[in-house]
Amino acid sequence: MIEVERLSKRFGPVTAVDDLSFTVRPGRVTGFLGPNGAGKSTTMRVILGLDQPTAGRALVGGRRYDGLVRPLREVGSLLDASALHPGRTARAHLRSIAQSNGIGRPRVDEVLRLTGLEGVAGRRAGGFSLGMKQRLGIAAAMLGDPPVLMFDEPVNGLDPEGIHWIRGFFRELATDGRTVLVSSHLMSEMAQTADHLVIIGRGRLLAETSTAELIESSARRDVLLRSPRAAELAGLIAARGGTATPQPDGALVVTGLDAAAVGELAAANGIALHALVPRQASLEDAYLDLTGDSTDYRAGTS
Amino acid sequence: MSAPSLATRATDLIGSEWTKFRSVRSTFWALLVAVVTPVAVSAIVAFAFASANQHGAPKTGAAKTAPPSDPLLPAVISLEYAVIAVAVLGVLAFTAEYSTGLIRVTFAAAPRRRAVLAAKAAVLAAVTLAVGEGVAFASFGLDQAILAGHHQGVSLGHPGVPGAVLCTGLLLAVCTLLGLALGAIVRHTAGGIAATIGVILVPGIVALLPSPWSGRIGRFTLLDAARQVSALHPAADLFSPGWSLLVLLAWPVAGLAVAAVLITRRDA
Repeated sequence: MIEVERLSKRFGPVTAVDDLSFTVRPGRVTGFLGPNGAGKSTTMRVILGLDQPTAGRALVGGRRYDGLVRPLREVGSLLDASALHPGRTARAHLRSIAQSNGIGRPRVDEVLRLTGLEGVAGRRAGGFSLGMKQRLGIAAAMLGDPPVLMFDEPVNGLDPEGIHWIRGFFRELATDGRTVLVSSHLMSEMAQTADHLVIIGRGRLLAETSTAELIESSARRDVLLRSPRAAELAGLIAARGGTATPQPDGALVVTGLDAAAVGELAAANGIALHALVPRQASLEDAYLDLTGDSTDYRAGTS
Repeated sequence: MSAPSLATRATDLIGSEWTKFRSVRSTFWALLVAVVTPVAVSAIVAFAFASANQHGAPKTGAAKTAPPSDPLLPAVISLEYAVIAVAVLGVLAFTAEYSTGLIRVTFAAAPRRRAVLAAKAAVLAAVTLAVGEGVAFASFGLDQAILAGHHQGVSLGHPGVPGAVLCTGLLLAVCTLLGLALGAIVRHTAGGIAATIGVILVPGIVALLPSPWSGRIGRFTLLDAARQVSALHPAADLFSPGWSLLVLLAWPVAGLAVAAVLITRRDA
């Protein structure tokens, strides 16, 4: 279990994390979502004792990370797949990390097999593709067979086969009863990977919810219609308790009435419909609704 | 699982740093330079000494500031040529990890950062001490064989010689540890190397100061201290060899102390 309690982190005038609290529980994959610059990586660095929080604290299994004697047996992490010496072989890289926590050679070979790297273990890691480096980073995270795992943007740079593999891998870890925290700035990715979501923007918690609940709660259901007598129809819809919002292109977006009711209403009044489209918000839309105000760098609208 | 003892944890960290140290090519090249250059240079310097002493005052620039007839000087002068190679090795121990982000993997695996600093220092010190002493004694043997041909050599049994040669061999470890400390402080490879070379070599400029001041300030510089502890006939205007040994060791100790403070205060 990971507990983040009222955590704040400022870098000079910039507040990267602002009074953030959330809990990551075992047995499920928790997605850590937010736009670029939302404070996901900073939060993970604080959890790992790499950055000192300005206020608040983060606990792993009830303890502060920097008090752990054999941290790799408690928490495995992958922050940056390119964090390796390019001249060192994959095996030497893993061996040096393993030794620091009293983990023996057999486990190094195990994690190489687990991540499908046994064939390239003797090659210098500098020549690896990004996907191979991600696997090497995951191998390092698994060295201590830890109950808690954290991965920062692990899907970046993976090919479709790698993405498929990594999703299955996270699923297995959670099924084992481990605590799994995976960060991403892509909702679509998390929708397929995470059971639970912690969504932040500008360092603040925006939502902590299950993936299913998020879709349900912020689902925008509406009906888009086009008609030569749109204005007349809008009045009829309003009279029946619906809301019809005219669009710049002449279409109407209707809420409060479903497509069937709108169709019946038009037919009963002899109004022709050129289009009648029931629409449901995607998870991506739900996410954009949440984070819309908290994106650091957004393309300007003109 | 019971908590591992302090000794076990220290052994594990040193093992980890040893694996890192021997698994990159820069280690091999730096050590090769540190071995081959001084032995070759010392032979050249010994020949120059032998002929200079036979034909009056020494002519080489390096020899001008030293007692003209010290038979142990070629070994320490030549070892100075290996200083940059091992200092860079020391700098890279941290900066190679900072430049790639590997330092976060290291500190996540070992949150007690001073223990990581100590483990890196132990590995670097052990290797460069062994190399430094080996090179010092090899250079001594070669130099004395050359000087003996001109009837200027001394034997290892001569009073004061074994201690002086042992102290000569310290120079590489001292400079590597200073490089390690400055690498941890500066955290950038180019800056760390520049700082280390600056701290080791730039104070040599005081040799150009007028007479009493060159010695009064020079006695605190790393390279003058190294020459003083390595000399059979110590210079009169510097500290005694005993105090000079303390000055020599104080440089890396001071650097490592600053590094130990900063390493825990800063975000990785």
